[in-house]
Amino acid sequence: MSTILEQKCPCCGGAVEFDSGVQKLKCPYCDTEFDITAMPEDTSNQVEQINWNSQGAQWGAGETDGISVYACNSCGGEIVADATTGATECPYCGNQVVMKGQFSGALRPDLVIPFKLDKKAAKEALKKHISTKKFVPKSFLEDNRLEEIKGVYVPHWLFTCDAVGNASYKAKKVRKWSDDNYDYTETSYFDIYRSGNIGFDNIPVDGSTKMPDDLMESVEPFDLSQAVDFNTAYLAGYLADKYDVTAEQSMPRANERIRQSIIDSFKETVKGYDEVENQGANMIVANGLYKYALYPVWLLNTKWNGENFTFAMNGQTGKFVGNIPTDKKAVTKASLLLGAGIGAAIYGLMWLLELL
Amino acid sequence: MTKKIFAIIIAALICASFVFSASAYTQQYVIDYADKLSSSEIEELDSFAEKIEAAYGVTVLFCITEGTGDVTAAEFASGTYSDYTDNENGLIIVHDDWNKAYSVFTSGNADEYFSDAAIDSMTDAYDTDDSYYGGIYACYELAEEYLENGYSGGYVNDSEPLNNGTDTIGASEEKDGVSIIWLPVSLLIGLLVGFLIINSIASKNKSVHMQKNATVYTRPGSMVITGSADNFLYSNVEKKEKPKQQNKN
Repeated sequence: MSTILEQKCPCCGGAVEFDSGVQKLKCPYCDTEFDITAMPEDTSNQVEQINWNSQGAQWGAGETDGISVYACNSCGGEIVADATTGATECPYCGNQVVMKGQFSGALRPDLVIPFKLDKKAAKEALKKHISTKKFVPKSFLEDNRLEEIKGVYVPHWLFTCDAVGNASYKAKKVRKWSDDNYDYTETSYFDIYRSGNIGFDNIPVDGSTKMPDDLMESVEPFDLSQAVDFNTAYLAGYLADKYDVTAEQSMPRANERIRQSIIDSFKETVKGYDEVENQGANMIVANGLYKYALYPVWLLNTKWNGENFTFAMNGQTGKFVGNIPTDKKAVTKASLLLGAGIGAAIYGLMWLLELL
Repeated sequence: MTKKIFAIIIAALICASFVFSASAYTQQYVIDYADKLSSSEIEELDSFAEKIEAAYGVTVLFCITEGTGDVTAAEFASGTYSDYTDNENGLIIVHDDWNKAYSVFTSGNADEYFSDAAIDSMTDAYDTDDSYYGGIYACYELAEEYLENGYSGGYVNDSEPLNNGTDTIGASEEKDGVSIIWLPVSLLIGLLVGFLIINSIASKNKSVHMQKNATVYTRPGSMVITGSADNFLYSNVEKKEKPKQQNKN
């Protein structure tokens, strides 16, 4: 058995949760609020290690790989979680528990951005997100049901560096003129070169294989100025995972974004041309540093026609993303109707101009 | 219900296109056997002649040919006139470009409006212009002026009124139209624009995508350009001849 941590209310002994509205820990039973700093992060009376001996069949070799088993401090129920789960809910008593070992030692996050928005805000954002979209199948609006909503602290690696790079571009200038007999077009080609330095701060890369990378990058950016030093108390009431993608494994994605930033930023300094096309870029990253942080994300799962749809909301800024199905028949109809209308209007206008 | 509305709208649009197409039908007024005019020039001249016919009820045809075959010039003119119009009131000027000769055939009350002198002034105007198109256009302009002022046998600037003081001949409202060719073109453009607009709106239903770069994480003021070079490689000059009007000589 592994060890778990529950934040207990000193008044009534109930499991406390982090309240994003007041940015404090709050006991849902007696409504007492506590500052994060007032709550000891890890004390001996809060940590309990229970060893259980199985009387039934034994797990075979390798069967328990990737599974961790914990015992709930409140009810003693057995919590089975995967190897990366850092905070979850007891399936028997509903108490929020934090797997202490997942965030200790080298695995301890440097920073955490606490949730600013609650579950209600996430639900409202989902409604708004769907209602503002066009050509959503009617049955999706009527039949899709919110299967699950969970606040998750998603592990991210934050990369800070100074990038030294160069980029080359091919540019084109077009000049036109005419005389009595001919129209002339002169196209001039140029080879452009730029080199320089750019500093980057805290480029995030998703450190969890459970979370789709595109979904996590879509809810960016997070405001890191509101990040605080990690404290397990912030995890109370939410789910959390420890990273299962290392910083080294995340670096290529950070480098890819840095390289593209160099190309795009240097391109903005190439002016006075009609067309500019990148031909290549090189870069060296210096003074590279990385940090481990937990970012707050609300995940909402809905089901429609047997298909799962996952939406995500930035738990700090409220940015909401998620793909919505499109009614292809409605799109075709609307395209034909609008097209016919525009066509008729063009023809009518031609008649009008002709008659005038 | 939506399907029905959709079908009705489409049917209405198709009906409207037929109505437009029926009213947009244009008769041929300029007959170019000698192949001296472009299709767009013929279309413009036809449009002008159609306007004259609609306003005054008189058909003015113009034919360019190279020889009249086995028939006389007069027979050729009257034959061509009856081949191209059923209007009793009208005129055809045939220019034999090969023999540099004119033949004219008038029908119905066109005799009253176009005297020999008037026809001479029209052929003179045609001769004076360098291009076939310009010549015929000038000819039609004069025909319109003769018909508008209601003069017969005189020149445009004469002040003596014709038809016992009647100022104008023909009372119908001036009409014009757009060729039916433009209807499918308009619909095609409309469909293309409609498709682009609707698909652009529908594409907003997808909001999940990888970020392209990390520009948002650039440290403010940290970008420094240390090397910069803009080298000219080469240039091409393309020369395209401007379209010219045909010279009839």
